[in-house]
Amino acid sequence: MDRSSGRDVIRRCPSNPLISLGDLPFRSSDIWNAGVVRFGEQYLLLMTVEMLEGRYSIYRADSNDGLHFTVDAEPFMSPADSGPNQMYENVGIRDPRITLIDDWFYISYVADGDHGLRLGLIRTKDFRTVERIAYISQVDVKNGVLFPSKVGGKYLLLKRPDAGSSIWLSYSDDLVFWGGSTVVMTPRGRYWDSNRIGAAAPPIKIDEGWLLIYYGEKHTSAGPLVRLGAAILDYENPSRVIARSNIPILSPREKYERVGDVPNVVFSCGALLEDGQINLYYGASDSCICRGSAPLKEILRICLESGREF
Amino acid sequence: MPENTGRDLLHRYEGNPILTLNDIPYRCNTVFNGTPVKLNGEYLILVRVEGQQGYSFFSLARSRDGFHMEVDPEPCVLPAQVEPWRVWEEHGIEDPRLTLIDGKFYILYTAVGRYGHRIALASTEDFRTYRRIAMISGPGNKDGVLFPQKINGLYARLDRPIGNGVGSVWISYSPDLVNWGKSEFVFGPRARYWDSHRIGASAPPILTKFGWLEIYHGVKMTSAGPIYRIGAVMLDKDNPARVLGRCLPPLLSPREDYERIGDIGNVVFACGAIVEDDGQVKVYYGAADTSICVATAPIDDIIVSCFSS
Repeated sequence: MDRSSGRDVIRRCPSNPLISLGDLPFRSSDIWNAGVVRFGEQYLLLMTVEMLEGRYSIYRADSNDGLHFTVDAEPFMSPADSGPNQMYENVGIRDPRITLIDDWFYISYVADGDHGLRLGLIRTKDFRTVERIAYISQVDVKNGVLFPSKVGGKYLLLKRPDAGSSIWLSYSDDLVFWGGSTVVMTPRGRYWDSNRIGAAAPPIKIDEGWLLIYYGEKHTSAGPLVRLGAAILDYENPSRVIARSNIPILSPREKYERVGDVPNVVFSCGALLEDGQINLYYGASDSCICRGSAPLKEILRICLESGREF
Repeated sequence: MPENTGRDLLHRYEGNPILTLNDIPYRCNTVFNGTPVKLNGEYLILVRVEGQQGYSFFSLARSRDGFHMEVDPEPCVLPAQVEPWRVWEEHGIEDPRLTLIDGKFYILYTAVGRYGHRIALASTEDFRTYRRIAMISGPGNKDGVLFPQKINGLYARLDRPIGNGVGSVWISYSPDLVNWGKSEFVFGPRARYWDSHRIGASAPPILTKFGWLEIYHGVKMTSAGPIYRIGAVMLDKDNPARVLGRCLPPLLSPREDYERIGDIGNVVFACGAIVEDDGQVKVYYGAADTSICVATAPIDDIIVSCFSS
């Protein structure tokens, strides 16, 4: 491994980046973040592609081994270009997060339109046809992730309102009307996640509760540094944080993470728990899709030993 | 009427301001932004009082004629002291708006706490006991007003989230007043106009034969700070996200000394209005964040202003 990758908890895949601009069967400007899911035997990514004119759409990529992907030539979903949804999506749609609940794949995404960013929710069974459910936030809200099962009879959503830059939790009976919103985690002064935070991958059920992989931003004179961290949330009451890593689990170090249209960014929209291993898919510098892995145990240890200063 | 009040559509009551800190039976900093209801011929106004500590809470004022007020000896709603409410209200409660639905008075107000400001919902039936129901928005939202009846089977509210730095009026719906969704943009600031910087709902919507009349506030930013004015917009009865008409000039602008001079000068800010049987509308507004005033106009004049564009 390249020495510059240091001792990050997440070990990079040697074949990173997995998907770059040249792997797309069409001309485009950038590749942003991807949600991931196991679909039958396949690994399936929904990735954000910024088109040359500046708008975003969501594209599907498939793989047998989770490493070598084929990207579709046509978008999985394009922004609404007519009707009442158009004003909410005319800059684009991006950052899809996939959550499997009762045979349906639910996809929360960021709709970028005239009045700011808001969260949209769709669902699919076959990743070919899409059913729109609702917009599930107002504006200046992003990083929406659904929990993979109901808790206490209710659907749960983590989201990040820009006001306060914290992670909030909301509840719903029907995925349309949401309430009970409360704060889960806030940025920490002095830390790597001091400026703003947001949920990254949808929460993963583990014995200790919910594993939340989130991103944290530090503000520097050259712009933001975006890293990934982890926290454990209480199973019954996920607004209660059981443990939170005091160090990031992944920081931009490799050239493909440092160099790009938005440099010094590692940003995940999805992770898989496979054979005790967390396989994390992340966008780097808003320019390519990468993968990194770590034993779940190692991530938990980092969360639970968060009192350590080194 | 003094000459400098100009030709604003709303006519100021000559006894303005009708409430100042001198009318409050306890020590406070200011009283402003009151929301009125008329109950059995009596006017009740729930007013925002800013204490000398610096945070706000509510007191109740009563009147026989809508102009001469008496304020209850003690505040009626203070920031919550117990969870789960305390953390959201620890910096105060502000800008109440009253709506009567099925014999119950609902109060939307702005709760201010360490995580920002958000919209809260409480209710009362007798103005003696008040019950908190829920926090009904995320952070960064305020100016929530509840429609006085369900629309297509759902409760509806207007509010003012900030998107891309711009404050616009949105509508949301709810089956139960606790869970909210189906949010839509309704109307936003107008470049070059008196409401170019940000806007927000002010009075709870009033049902007229043309649709929902919404009295809102608009802000223009100047080098000396914001100017808050009062305007009106007509929304479709069955789909209030549809704007039928919107006033070009404001209904009321800060002109009198009591509107220009105070803790926040150049502010007129309504939190409610009463439509009298004779068609006169009494708009209650806070002036300069320092006192409460009332101004009147025939409802037909306000409606016409929405369509004069």
